[in-house]
Amino acid sequence: MGIILKGISKSYDGQAVLKNLNLKINQGEFHVLLGPSGNGKTTALSVMAGLVNPDSGSVFIGGGEVTSLSPDKRNIGFVFQDHALFPHLQVFDNIAYGLRVRGIKEKKIKKIVAHYLELVRLQDMYNKYPFQLSGGQKQRIAIARALAFKPDALLMDEPLSHLDALECERIRDELKRIQAATRVTTCYVTHDHSEASALADRISVLHKGRIEQIERPEEIFYHPKTDFVAKFVGADNILEARLVEINGNTTIFSLNSLGLTDQLKIKARTYPVFARNTKHRLCLHPEKIVVSHTPKGKNNFLARIIDIVPQGAVFKIIGEIVGLSGLKLRAVVPKTAFKINSNTEKIWFSFPPDALHPLCGRSCRAAIPQRACNNINLFK
Amino acid sequence: MKNFSFNLIISFIAAIFVCLIVLPMLALFTTTSFVELVSQFRSPMILSAVLISLETSLTVVFLALCLGIPVAYLLAMKNFKGKEIIDTLVDLPISMPPLVAGLALLILLGGNSTFGRLLSNHGISLIFSKKGIIAAQLFVSIPFLIKSTRDAFESINKDIINASSTLGASEFYTFKTILLPMAKNGIYTGMIMTWSRALGEFGATSMVAGCIPFKTETMTVAIYQNAMSGELTASIAIAILLLIFSFTLLLVFKSRVRVKAG
Ligand SMILES: Nc1ncnc2c1ncn2[C@@H]1O[C@H](COP(=O)(O)OP(=O)(O)OP(=O)(O)O)[C@@H](O)[C@H]1O
Ligand SMILES: [Mg+2]
Repeated sequence: MGIILKGISKSYDGQAVLKNLNLKINQGEFHVLLGPSGNGKTTALSVMAGLVNPDSGSVFIGGGEVTSLSPDKRNIGFVFQDHALFPHLQVFDNIAYGLRVRGIKEKKIKKIVAHYLELVRLQDMYNKYPFQLSGGQKQRIAIARALAFKPDALLMDEPLSHLDALECERIRDELKRIQAATRVTTCYVTHDHSEASALADRISVLHKGRIEQIERPEEIFYHPKTDFVAKFVGADNILEARLVEINGNTTIFSLNSLGLTDQLKIKARTYPVFARNTKHRLCLHPEKIVVSHTPKGKNNFLARIIDIVPQGAVFKIIGEIVGLSGLKLRAVVPKTAFKINSNTEKIWFSFPPDALHPLCGRSCRAAIPQRACNNINLFK
Repeated sequence: MKNFSFNLIISFIAAIFVCLIVLPMLALFTTTSFVELVSQFRSPMILSAVLISLETSLTVVFLALCLGIPVAYLLAMKNFKGKEIIDTLVDLPISMPPLVAGLALLILLGGNSTFGRLLSNHGISLIFSKKGIIAAQLFVSIPFLIKSTRDAFESINKDIINASSTLGASEFYTFKTILLPMAKNGIYTGMIMTWSRALGEFGATSMVAGCIPFKTETMTVAIYQNAMSGELTASIAIAILLLIFSFTLLLVFKSRVRVKAG
């Protein structure tokens, strides 16, 4: 059940857009396909819907293979970026369209449409034409239309990208509620990681036609597996670190990759993967950095402020670590948590050892096998 | 000063253009008296020409719809080998001189060609008949319907068509419930253009159907015949009727386009 893509490849004019894509979306799951523009998200979704034929691979929806079926035989709901409502039909007839196609009696259609109009909270709009609706209302109707005939899967292609922030958030919350109520298997495409984390049961990150990581949102955000995922979800402090020693649950790294004598050491929680190598790439989420005027905690760095960017309720502070020219860290702190004077030049960045993660999958973060990792010193 | 002389020249040229259009029409209306014209409108010959013209041109619009919409759909929605050939064929009758079209039809449908003989063996004779008029008018006017309808189909957002199919609609259901209603204005425009072209058709029609009064004489053919045989008043009467028709069509056409744009 659910949606399964098996080895899907697709090229346009010799340009590979999807490369042997494998994806399994569970029955009832709210899945988000996340990735930057032009990386094949729409193509992947269109392959699920049957709007695009893959060059190879197979598609399963609701337990059966649908690879060779045309879209009208797949029983899927699709919500387009630009709503794609039928402009010559009233709201009622738009929602009723998928029901009439299926030959359902008008009396029953009336009941079903009323139910879905209520679900998207637009009961009074049934006799309006699409041009009489706001962007957000149109998208709600499009969602109702895609759900009304009880599809096996709901596919959505950046449905909120043309809406203002407030409306976007409102519909997002409703969408989450509707999906929870209907338990329809959902695949939602977006390039916005905060939207993804608000909606998803699981996220898969699509990069150049391949899935780089597929996991629960917290995992994606705090344990990105690759540089690309880390940067894309905003966990964009990546430290090149050399392992000094593993001390039980704590591992010590040095940061001066240039081999200067003045070593900057940091402490990290021990992961099994540390024992296998001396060089590691560690990810430090900007939200985990504490910014203060005096040193605090275990890992402290004096940083020269390069830039402070206000973003909504937070400051994004970019600082260069003193003594390690070239190493810039980004910290995100709530505006209320930190006071900055215009003449402040240097501040302290600090973070707990468990804020550091190796850039690798779940396996390298498994429980530490005690005997393997105790007191290994690779630099004896 | 420079601007002044430039504007003067422009205005002068515009005046020439206005004369070019208006003077001939004025000439039409001023040569004969109103009373004379009204008496002409009662003539059975003119009445017959009007009826023949209306009958054939309206039939042509109907046939153009039946043939043209499927071709327009094919050209707008499908990719296939030889699409460019059909595309060129659609344009051909527009650029072809009507007399050449008439000659070609005459040869094809005449008793000396295989196709013509096949038709006459089945009791169908197109030459020198109303059916011939219809064939000639259809030949020269159907491209207008096809082009306008095709443009209308092509301007429909692909996502809307995709939406219909993901909702479970077959291609035909989508055609019926989405494409046709949404292309409505384009189809009307095409119908009006086809009708006015058919109504004004002379060259191909006279080649194929000849000029048999009360049988194959359309309004345009009657104008020519009467003018050549010195019956100028009759010619003028028909011409004025034809002008009224085209003027009405033009108005309808313009109001449709304005509705579309607004
Ligand atoms: N019909 C097509 N013909 C040719 N190339 C195409 C076609 N559709 C998509 N592509 C190409 O495939 C690549 C992936 O496109 P796709 O629309 O799947 O990306 P996307 O991740 O949805 O991007 P966006 O976030 O901008 O919507 C792009 O480089 C695009 O140019
Ligand atoms: Mg896209």
